[in-house]
Amino acid sequence: MSDALAIRDVHVQFHTRRGVYKALNGVNLRLRRGEVLGIAGESGCGKTTMGLAVMSLLPRNASIPRGQVIFDNKDLVNLPREYSERVGDRFNPKENERILRRVGKAMTRIRGQRISMVFQEPMTSLNPVLPVGFQVAETIYVHNPALLARRVLARSKATPSLMQDLLRLLDQTHGDEAAVTEFAADHGLPGIEEQALFVWRREDVHVSRKEKAIRSLSGQSMNPLERNIIVAVVKAGSIPPQFARVPILSRVVRRVLVKEGYRKALELLTSLGIHHAERVVKMYPHELSGGMRQRVVIAIALANNPEIVIMDEPTSAVDVTVQAQILDLVKRIRTSVSASFIVISHDLAVLAEVSDRIAIMYAGRIVEVSSVDEILHHPLHPYTQMLISAIPTLEAKPVEGIKGEVPDMRDPPGGCAFHPRCPFAFEKCLSIVPIDFRQGTDQLVACWLYEGK
Amino acid sequence: MMIAAYGLCKHFPVRGAFRTTTSLRAVDDVGLKIQREQVVGLVGESGSGKSTVGRCLIRLLNPTDGEILFDIPDPELAEYEKARGAGATARLDAIADRFSLLRRSSSELRSIRRRVNIVFQDPYSSLNPRWKLSDVIGEPMLSTRYCSRAEAEVRARELLREVGLPEFFEDRYPHELSGGQRQRVAIARAISTNPKLLILDEPTSALDVSVQAQILNLLRRLREKYGISMLLITHNIAVVAYLAEYVYVMYAGKIMEWGDKGKVLRDPQHPYTKALMSSVPVAGEKRTRSILRGDPPNLITPPLACRFHPRCPVAFEVCGWSAEEVAEDLEYLLAGKYFGTFGDAAQVLAEGDRTILIQGTTDATGIQELVGLEREDVRSLKSVQAVDKMPEGIVLRLHEPVDPEMYPSADGREVKCLLFRTGGSTLAANA
Repeated sequence: MSDALAIRDVHVQFHTRRGVYKALNGVNLRLRRGEVLGIAGESGCGKTTMGLAVMSLLPRNASIPRGQVIFDNKDLVNLPREYSERVGDRFNPKENERILRRVGKAMTRIRGQRISMVFQEPMTSLNPVLPVGFQVAETIYVHNPALLARRVLARSKATPSLMQDLLRLLDQTHGDEAAVTEFAADHGLPGIEEQALFVWRREDVHVSRKEKAIRSLSGQSMNPLERNIIVAVVKAGSIPPQFARVPILSRVVRRVLVKEGYRKALELLTSLGIHHAERVVKMYPHELSGGMRQRVVIAIALANNPEIVIMDEPTSAVDVTVQAQILDLVKRIRTSVSASFIVISHDLAVLAEVSDRIAIMYAGRIVEVSSVDEILHHPLHPYTQMLISAIPTLEAKPVEGIKGEVPDMRDPPGGCAFHPRCPFAFEKCLSIVPIDFRQGTDQLVACWLYEGK
Repeated sequence: MMIAAYGLCKHFPVRGAFRTTTSLRAVDDVGLKIQREQVVGLVGESGSGKSTVGRCLIRLLNPTDGEILFDIPDPELAEYEKARGAGATARLDAIADRFSLLRRSSSELRSIRRRVNIVFQDPYSSLNPRWKLSDVIGEPMLSTRYCSRAEAEVRARELLREVGLPEFFEDRYPHELSGGQRQRVAIARAISTNPKLLILDEPTSALDVSVQAQILNLLRRLREKYGISMLLITHNIAVVAYLAEYVYVMYAGKIMEWGDKGKVLRDPQHPYTKALMSSVPVAGEKRTRSILRGDPPNLITPPLACRFHPRCPVAFEVCGWSAEEVAEDLEYLLAGKYFGTFGDAAQVLAEGDRTILIQGTTDATGIQELVGLEREDVRSLKSVQAVDKMPEGIVLRLHEPVDPEMYPSADGREVKCLLFRTGGSTLAANA
């Protein structure tokens, strides 16, 4: 199977008044479909920059002199790269900004829809003046209005007798998804299935109440204007321009669909383990605790069923007991969602908990990639070995710091960037950048020690 | 004993609407002792009040209530504790006058500050950016009149070497240094007056693991060399495991458990410590963990009695359930799982603190059964003592809550949980 995402030899440089920071120096990474890939490294090694590069969210002073980010057979960074190639040293942030704006327009079809990102600090990534339910609803409204329109339309078309049939089907098949979807398609009610299944799968609600709730999905009346608009949205698959342009109509579309978005947000938040979601969707971010906010941000990232979710330090701002809740949640959603995940963290123990494979970064390059067990028990790269021996444990085994400092990325050391701190460095390390050597079945290590082994 | 605190409280005033002032009880009734040359860890989640305790101990903050005895010989301390137990106020005062930190005037404090010092969490904000490192390190020596200016400069160079930095750093400014180097400077400053007690407030939280390991080893070496007592405040339990001998576990402003490091970390007794320890991710170890529901409480209106009871997986009758908590859970059950069982009109009202009124249904036996069925899953229902049918509706009466104290356990530690009260679990066992 092809990879979900391939990052090939990506270089990113930040042009500042104090010089050019070489944040990424040739990152090679493949994200397989359905896996959770952890990225570990110390601060300043380029973990977050890599995430931003994939999302095309780099600031205007960042150039991409080389490299490709291949997603769905398309290169996501070709425009900024071509610009950097063209101008070379005469990089101009203002011109770059124009390029980035163009990229941004093209990316709206991908960003937040097919690739989404959970940012580091949940308080700053939520808008403080909007209810959290609205923020989830808006994500869906912007990227996938037809989904919401289908849901509204299905409810207005459904009759009590059809819902009675649906209930019987749910009871017989014990909530089988395929059967319910088929039922919805047969009766011209696409969009009803997820609503019915959501109610059916709730564990905190009594059966009699579930039945009542599913029956109440039927027979919602709509005025003719709304109905015509919604039908048009469903047909077009998006909001047709004539509605988007006329203010009075666009307001109707927005009102109906955002309201529906709240319902969808409620379903999402409940599935992420938030109690009383009916109340929570109306709250503002400051009313929520750190763990709840993080769940809301994750809900926004998952809202459009993305193919790739990038989580940047999802647990760094929360306490250890809440961290345990979030990790448990991430483990649970990866089984229920068909997305691939990139989880970025400085804490190897956190990554070991949720990942299938772990990539170790140092000074803007991936130095080692392999499965969790191999990384923890048989680390190959000297940096990985030293990093693991620096982590204090509950058993209080002696810890060993890594001598020296993280290199200045304005002028990184030649050859292997780790050689000034590496006890095994030899002549080759000083001058030639190591290539990836394959070890075992699935382990890649960028270190000359493993040449020819 | 290096330092001993009894019944330490710190309440911060919080201005509410309409000029009302309430208090945030950040630290409540905390007792803590550090022996000479001992490293004691204080762990807890953010907001548990551990930094506040550290600051109160060296009077950077003045505690609202409580007593702090500093550098007190063991016989006097034993006498003090005896007098405290007996309530002999005159004797208490006599000892406290000599050793209490809270009764020292500011000039006396100045000399005491030579003997205690603190290292702050964030080395980026704790060093004055306009001072050279030699000034940064020399400042405590001059302000406490530990030595003359010339001597301080010589000693600053010595200290730089001591913490593993080159001597020529004395002319540099903090911005030229990396995070790890800055934290070394902060440590050099803290040990400049040869203190006997060092408060380390999250000394490695802002650092990367590779640098954290260097700092931990530095602290360990300094401690062996100079015999400094340390209070290590951190949320990272592995750091405590590495450096400390004794551990105090704090939650919501109270000490939950304390004792020997090995025992507390390996075999925690308090339900909170258990959950905390099982939440710590350990690389390469898959385990089932007990995941706590919910979040730490709001300390303006803290939970009754045991502050951990709303999240506790084994809370029982007298742990401090209030009528509001029980009513909320009951309402959730009636609206969810038991929807329709008691009719649509059933209404749950909390009446005062210890009674709940259910209106709109007359099925008292049904409610009794519900409480009996759900009490293992919904812990708050355990506190229901009696269900009575009254003319105004069904009345639920709750058990009186019991405030937990520090109960000594057999292996020399103390646990603040009613399960460890002598004969304390009898109620739980009978129920």
